[in-house]
Amino acid sequence: MAKVKLTNVRKVYENKTKGDNKPAVDDFNLEIKDKEFVVFVGPSGCGKSTTLRMIAGLEDITAGTIEIDGVVVNDLQPKDRDIAMVFQNYALYPHLSVFENMAFSLRLRKVPQEEVYRRVTEAAEILGITEYLTRKPRALSGGQRQRVAIGRAMVRDSKVFLMDEPLSNLDAKLRNQMRAEIILLRKKIDTTFVYVTHDQTEAMTLGDRIVIMKDGFIMQVGTPVEVFDMPDNLFVAEFIGAPKMNTMRAQLVEEEDKYFVVAHGVKMEVDGEKGVALSDRAVGSREVILGVRPEHITMTTPDDPEGIHCTVQVNEMMGSELHLHVVTDDGEKLIVRVPTITLSNEERFALRFGAEIYVTFEGKVMHFFDVDTEKNLLTAADLETPAEEVPAEETPVEETPIDEVPNQD
Amino acid sequence: MDLENKDIVQEVNEIPQETVETVEAPTASTPATQEARVTLPPIFDYSAVETEETPVAPPMKRHMGAKAKRTLSNAIIYIILGIMTVVWLFPFFCLILESFRVETTAQVGYLFPKQWGFDNYIRLFTETDFPRWLLNTFVMGVFVAILQTIIVLCMSYTLSRLRFKGRKFLMNFMLILGMFPGFLSMILLYKVLSDVGLYEANAPWGLILVYVASSGMGYYISKGFFDTIPTTLDEAARVDGATRFQVFYKVILPLSKPIVIYTVLMGFMAPFGDFVLAKYIAHGAVEGMNVGVGLWTWLERTLINTNYTMFCAGGVVVAVPVTILFLCLQKYYVEGVTGGAVKG
Repeated sequence: MAKVKLTNVRKVYENKTKGDNKPAVDDFNLEIKDKEFVVFVGPSGCGKSTTLRMIAGLEDITAGTIEIDGVVVNDLQPKDRDIAMVFQNYALYPHLSVFENMAFSLRLRKVPQEEVYRRVTEAAEILGITEYLTRKPRALSGGQRQRVAIGRAMVRDSKVFLMDEPLSNLDAKLRNQMRAEIILLRKKIDTTFVYVTHDQTEAMTLGDRIVIMKDGFIMQVGTPVEVFDMPDNLFVAEFIGAPKMNTMRAQLVEEEDKYFVVAHGVKMEVDGEKGVALSDRAVGSREVILGVRPEHITMTTPDDPEGIHCTVQVNEMMGSELHLHVVTDDGEKLIVRVPTITLSNEERFALRFGAEIYVTFEGKVMHFFDVDTEKNLLTAADLETPAEEVPAEETPVEETPIDEVPNQD
Repeated sequence: MDLENKDIVQEVNEIPQETVETVEAPTASTPATQEARVTLPPIFDYSAVETEETPVAPPMKRHMGAKAKRTLSNAIIYIILGIMTVVWLFPFFCLILESFRVETTAQVGYLFPKQWGFDNYIRLFTETDFPRWLLNTFVMGVFVAILQTIIVLCMSYTLSRLRFKGRKFLMNFMLILGMFPGFLSMILLYKVLSDVGLYEANAPWGLILVYVASSGMGYYISKGFFDTIPTTLDEAARVDGATRFQVFYKVILPLSKPIVIYTVLMGFMAPFGDFVLAKYIAHGAVEGMNVGVGLWTWLERTLINTNYTMFCAGGVVVAVPVTILFLCLQKYYVEGVTGGAVKG
């Protein structure tokens, strides 16, 4: 139960070839509140695990400070930081029984035998592994091993609970189950959690706050709702949400204090709060990257003036919804999520390869990103006015799709 | 039975062509309802085989053929291994027979003794310096085993887990140093040991020093072993509150039983196998000899006829305990200990 504060943390791995020493983590500032559940999420190699390991004391800190409960721990050994950690590959001691695995840290601290017994059995009870206490780790299944690993961290009563991709070695079904259990567990343990994952679903469901990282930098810190509804930049927008957000080049046009967006040759009014926000920030007419989530695109009739004509390429039946991969007339790919309940059987059957449909979306679900900086035009601190305002009608819409950005593994 | 099988084999061979035909024909004409079937690869269409009685038979026949083949190849392998075993064990067999020969102490032209007895063994322990040599060697073995194990394990754990300046250089340096023959340093070693008095009668102590001093260079095998233990175990233990040393002896060592035993055995065996350096440092002093050097002295032209069978008995006495030790501990070499540590 403690605050964790990271100030200007930087990590550079010494490069043996004396090449460029690109920092693995740079300019990392974050204050984790007491009893908060913070999730670091990002693609592989974004520095999230490195940051966690620096908090744990398993990696040196190149620059900056890390404080736990107001004490700078930069030079403290892991054992002196009072942290517990769960590893991706469980890291159970194979020569010790489950009981001894969980009791290991208590024995090192010379906790009295009765106390050790009480704490271990209590944790085992919570995790439902009481019957396995005498077994060796090798006699356990993956899910059971991960429970033991969590139990080993639980008995510590430590200030901070660190978890490094604890679920990624489990199969999909077990992962969902364990995720729900971690949510329950969190209510019982009630300490500060730092959780690392590359899975945005885990991040969204577990975290009080999410820290989205890329290439060693924080891209955005916010609650799941904040990062989903108002992503700071294109990277966050595409990383959070599955399937990922559709992006397209579009023209933002200001006419008589109203904003319109021209995409795929269709002019749509940006109504509602997004339109007001654009006016308030005086964004002006400019080229933008328009982002729309697949679930916010709806099918419409051919006579809808705001309907974009597309051709279905792939139809993924997910059960409760269809994922339609469609191509617009100018060759850009979009993904549309259609709840199956809204479709009749005939319609569902008709949405096959080659089917022609019209899609549209409302102003309130649009996200606008700067073409150069890829920052959200509604949240970016330094909003640059475009160099020259080009009338929308004369500018052809660019056809280059911009879908190479994220790396959602 | 065979004939039937042949027929079926033929049928099975023909299936792919037939299937392609039967599937492709309706595709062109019949619409939607047939589509799902068309997408299946031809191999899944068993319509042509369904009329046959036992489609499982052909693989069974093939299985039996494979079994006979395996038996044959195993037989050949065992015959070769048997021959090699005889070749290798024959000298040892002769040694044992010679050691029980009572009728003469000299070399003879036949294999099996005419008179059997323990005379040679009794003489060995009552009339000669052999007990002294055995004790020398045993003491050296114990000391070297203990000291060398400590040094080697610490060395290899350090090189496996810690990252420090000059680590790579140190490893390469020792690798190259190890390539020089040990003989090169013998004259110098004699000089140094004679200066401090650890030679001739005190040779065992000098030899312990020499064996142990260079043992750090034998880190390769145990480092390789430590490298296979996941570092997350170290990290988990450190987060759990262990110091580096506690990680080493509470987590890594229990997992490294095979390599610890290997290192102990190697250390214990070294003095039993040494001859050149041991002879050089002992410099003819009977009290400072190990078994190898001591027994060798009996093979001199003047002594061989009186001591040959006793020499053989000495060889057996040296070999038997070591062999038993190996047989007892060999299971640790094959025991897989890291099972269950991490996701495999």
